Amino acid sequence: MAKPFHNALFASLILVSSLAQAQHAADDDGFKQPMQHLHINPGLDQREFERSSLGALQVYDPLESWNRRVYHFNYRFDEWVFLPIVDGYRYVTPNLVQSGVSNFFSNLGDVPNLLNSALQFKGKRAMQTTARLLLNTTLGVAGLWDPATRMGLPKQREDFGQTLGFYGTPAGPYLMLPLLGPSNLRDTGGLVADFAASSQVNLLNVAETSVHHPEITLLEIVDQRSTVNFRYGQLNSPFEYEKIRYFYHESRKLKIAE
Amino acid sequence: MPHLFRLVALLSGMAFTGQLLAADIDAASYGYPLSNPFEATLATTPVELRPNLPADADIDQDDYRVRLRPEREFELPKNFWPVTKMGYRLAKQRGEAPLIFIIAGTGAHYSSSTPEYLKKLFYGAGYHVVQLSSPTSYDFMTSASRFATPGITREDAEDLYRAMQAVRAQHPRLKVSEYHLTGYSLGGLQAAFVSELDETRRSFNFKRVLLLNPPVNLYTSISNLDRLVQTQVEGVDSSTTFYELVLAKLTRYFQAKGYLDINDAMLYDFQQSREQLSDEQMAMLIGAVFRFSSSDIAFTSDLVNRRGLITPIDYPIDDGTSLTPFFKRALQCNFDCYMTEQLIPMWRARSDGGSVAQLIDQVSLYALTDYLKSSSKIAVMHNADDVILGPGDLGFLRKTFGDRLTVYPLGGHCGNLNYSVNSDAMLEFFRG
Repeated sequence: MAKPFHNALFASLILVSSLAQAQHAADDDGFKQPMQHLHINPGLDQREFERSSLGALQVYDPLESWNRRVYHFNYRFDEWVFLPIVDGYRYVTPNLVQSGVSNFFSNLGDVPNLLNSALQFKGKRAMQTTARLLLNTTLGVAGLWDPATRMGLPKQREDFGQTLGFYGTPAGPYLMLPLLGPSNLRDTGGLVADFAASSQVNLLNVAETSVHHPEITLLEIVDQRSTVNFRYGQLNSPFEYEKIRYFYHESRKLKIAE
Repeated sequence: MPHLFRLVALLSGMAFTGQLLAADIDAASYGYPLSNPFEATLATTPVELRPNLPADADIDQDDYRVRLRPEREFELPKNFWPVTKMGYRLAKQRGEAPLIFIIAGTGAHYSSSTPEYLKKLFYGAGYHVVQLSSPTSYDFMTSASRFATPGITREDAEDLYRAMQAVRAQHPRLKVSEYHLTGYSLGGLQAAFVSELDETRRSFNFKRVLLLNPPVNLYTSISNLDRLVQTQVEGVDSSTTFYELVLAKLTRYFQAKGYLDINDAMLYDFQQSREQLSDEQMAMLIGAVFRFSSSDIAFTSDLVNRRGLITPIDYPIDDGTSLTPFFKRALQCNFDCYMTEQLIPMWRARSDGGSVAQLIDQVSLYALTDYLKSSSKIAVMHNADDVILGPGDLGFLRKTFGDRLTVYPLGGHCGNLNYSVNSDAMLEFFRG
C-alpha cells in the first residue's frame, strides 16, 4: 500500500517542482530547453492525437455527398456574388450608417433571443434581453444605436435550435444549407420557428413591411453577411468540409450547454 | 617607434574583429508577462500590451489571384477549383512607399492571424504590404509550387521568388521605393533563402531582411513538433479523448462565466481560471495544430504528384466526393512520415542520392552560414524558450549573426511577436 502512495507523492512532487521551474535554467547558449520538463511517452508510440481526431470525424452526416455539393455552391456564390455585393455595400455606405443598420436588425433579433431565453427558464438572461429591447428600441431610436451594451447588458444569443437542444432534442443529420451554411436538422427547424415567431411579433412593423418591400430582407441578408467574419477557404485545408462540420457540431453543443 | 604604432594598430584591429555579441534582453527589463512558453505560444500577448494598429477599415487592401501554374487547373480534381491560382493580399499606401513581403509560417494561409498582424504593423508604419501563404500551405502547394513537395528550402525559396515577381508584375503602377522581406517561423527560414537567391537574381535587391523565430535545424524543429503530441496528458482515458477533455473544460469555463464570449483576451483569461490547461495539455494542443498541417501537406503533395500513397491514383473525385477516407489516412502521417515517404524519395531521385544528414544540412540555416555571416542586411529575432529550437541552435545563431541577433528571454514560439517591445524593435530594424 505504501509503495503506490510513495509513487504518487513522488510524481506530484515532480509535478510541483516542474511547474515551479517552468522557467528553466538556461544552458551556455542561453537556451531554456522548454520541452525538457514535459512528461513525454518514452516509446513515442502514443496514438492519442489519432484517436481524438478520428473520433472527431464521427458526426452523423448521411447526406454528405449532397452537403459537399452545397458547400461548393456556397463557396462559389460567396466568391462571385455575395462578397462582391458586401464589399460594394461597405464601400458606398458610411461606417456610421453600417453600424446603424447592424444595430437595427440586431435589435429585431433580440425578440427570438428573449422568447428562447424564457422558454429555457433562463430568468436572468430573459430579464437582461427584455431590458436590452426596451432600452435599444426607445433610447436607441428604434434600435439604430445600442446603448444597452454600453450599459453592461451584452447581447446573448438564444435560438430555437438551442431551446430544442436544451430539452434534449438530438441534433439529427448534419445539413449544409444553401446560402445559410452549416446546420443540422434540429437547428434548421429552429431557424424556421424563429422566423415565424419574429413575423408574428412583428416588432416595429418590419416583418409586415418587408413582405411588400423585399429590399429590406435583402439589406438584412447583406448586413448579416458583412458582420459574419467567416470566409470559405479560410481554414485553408483540403479537409475544410470536415473541419467546419466538427466546429459547427461542437460549438452548438457548447452553446446549448452554456 | 613606427613598429610600435603598427603593433598598436594591429592589436586594436584584432580587438574589433572579435565576436560581436548578440543582444540578449534580460527578463526583468523585458516585461513580457507570460513566463510559460506554451501559454505564450497559444495565447500570445495580452491585449493591453499589444501595439496600436490601424483598423481594417483604414487599410486599402484587396485579395488577388495570379495564375502561376496553368497546368494545375487540368491536373487537379474538380473540387480543388478554389486553389488553382495563387492568392495573396496586398495593402497599398497612397503614393510611393517601401514594400514589404511577409512569408507565413508552417501551413499558414496569407490571411491567418500572424500575417494579418504583421500587415497591420507595417502598414501603420507606411509600407505597402504583400502577404504570401507558406510554401507548406495547401493553397500555395497546389497553385504556386513546381514540385508540390515542400521542405527542400532552396526550391521553396525559388517558388516564393517567382510568386513575388508575379505579384509585382500584376501591379505595374504601384510605386515602390525599396523592397523588404520578413517571415516568421518556417517563413523566416525561407526568407533567408529568398534573400540569398535575390543576391544573384537581383529582382528586388532587398534592403533589409528580418527572420522571426526561424528554425535553425529543420529536422530538430519537426522532431520537436512531432514529439509534442506524445506528451502524457492527465485526464485522457478510454472514455474521454483529448479534444473532449479540452471542450469539457471550455464548457465549464463558460458556464462559470455566465456567457459565451470568444475573443483575443479569452485564452489568457482561461489560463487564469481553474480550468487552465497543464503544460502537457498545451503541448498536445500545439502539437495537434501542427499535425493537421502535416496531414494537409502529406495529402496534397501525394495528390498533386499522383504518388498513390494516400489517394489512389486516378480515383475519381468531384464536388460531391467524400475526402474523409483520405483524411483518415493523412491524419496518421506526421512530419517525419511525410519526410520519409515523400520528401526524401523525391529529393534522392532529383539529386542522385544523398544521405539524410546531407538533406538536413541543405534545407536548414547551415546551408547559408557564409552568406548569413557576411550579409549585414539580415537580422534575426528569436526567443530563448522557443519550442522549435534544440540545444546548440542559439549558439549557431550567435556565432553566425553576432550583433544582428536579438534573443528575447520569453515568448515561446512567436508568442511575443505582437508585444509592443518586439513590434518597436521590428519597425526600428526596417527604419534603420
